[in-house]
Amino acid sequence: MTRPSSSDAGVRKLVLYREEVLNENGSRPERPALRATVAAVIHNPWLGTGPAADLSAAAEAIAPQLAKMLTDRLIADLGGAEAIEAFGKAAIVGTAGEIEHGGALIHTPYFGNLMRDFLQGESIICFADARAEAGETLVVPMWHKSAAATRSHYQTIAARISDGPRADEIVIIAAASTGPRPHARIGDRKTDPIIRAKDLESALA
Amino acid sequence: MKVRKIVTIIEEITSEGGREVNPPARVAIVAAVIENPWKGQGFVEDLSEGIEATASDVGALLAPAVLAALGATAEAYGKAAIVGLNGEIEHGSALIHTLKFGDHFRVAANATTLLPAVEKRGPAGVVFDIPLKHITDATIRSHHQSIEVRISDAPHPDELIIALAAAAQGRPQQRLADLSTEL
Repeated sequence: MTRPSSSDAGVRKLVLYREEVLNENGSRPERPALRATVAAVIHNPWLGTGPAADLSAAAEAIAPQLAKMLTDRLIADLGGAEAIEAFGKAAIVGTAGEIEHGGALIHTPYFGNLMRDFLQGESIICFADARAEAGETLVVPMWHKSAAATRSHYQTIAARISDGPRADEIVIIAAASTGPRPHARIGDRKTDPIIRAKDLESALA
Repeated sequence: MKVRKIVTIIEEITSEGGREVNPPARVAIVAAVIENPWKGQGFVEDLSEGIEATASDVGALLAPAVLAALGATAEAYGKAAIVGLNGEIEHGSALIHTLKFGDHFRVAANATTLLPAVEKRGPAGVVFDIPLKHITDATIRSHHQSIEVRISDAPHPDELIIALAAAAQGRPQQRLADLSTEL
């Protein structure tokens, strides 16, 4: 008996997770941000291919569709591309695949450049990846979409699909936030003093 | 009612058992992470004051939100109360097992049946399953289903997660004979 496969219909499921923090440590953030992940569970197109297989053709065919699908949902559920300030991406590869398969879908221009365009950003998009059983939680990093070093926007969101990825699947995730961390107050590169290890000898002693 | 955060989850299943699901099967959940109204009070014999202060408000917050997230007519629904480790299961039950809570959803969804529920106590990040049944006839077998939820940093020990779930249809690829065929 062959196991049902998601390949017959491409994407098996699409899951939005969105949260809004209204209160953190006893008070309302100055700018309550919406944070979200959108995850697509897809069939791994490279199952059974060896480590020398060229991944480019399938990546070029599939990755743009995923970038469009995932960012369309982020834009719809976070109030528009203009409202989005930070972004990130991730892949969870089922146990029959390679991490490289996830990388092929999120690390090439066919995904990243499109996601950046659709979300009106300029930064490199930060990422996480894992090979895991269904139900594994992956913490997805995000940073500012046009000024990556903006410290207030360093943040993460947990992504988890209860029944995915199956061994022969990959979960592709796009994440975004409409603002900074709640109560962000740890300065920025522009305000930091110049700190070198030799200046901290007493603290390191 | 002190709300720390609101979580919305929408699942769209487009393939099941290797076959396309068209239109996609859609289920939505909206959860409020709130402070336990009986926090720090020890064993409270009469819970009615906290129920009065919270149950209707949280029902009024969640019911329109979950229907908006579903974006379709709800055919099945369910509810959840997940209690942080310092609380009692009874605290969660107090807030969801009252008409003051559920009637907001029943009226908005034109529903008539009781909402199936999960009540559970656990740490932040606890996984829970919300059961859903048909909104007007809890014996309709095609609509018996559940959906799994996890919020990574909730509930804190003195918090509760209160959630509603709505489905626009029964199970994807549902094909069991009706209950009446066995009676």
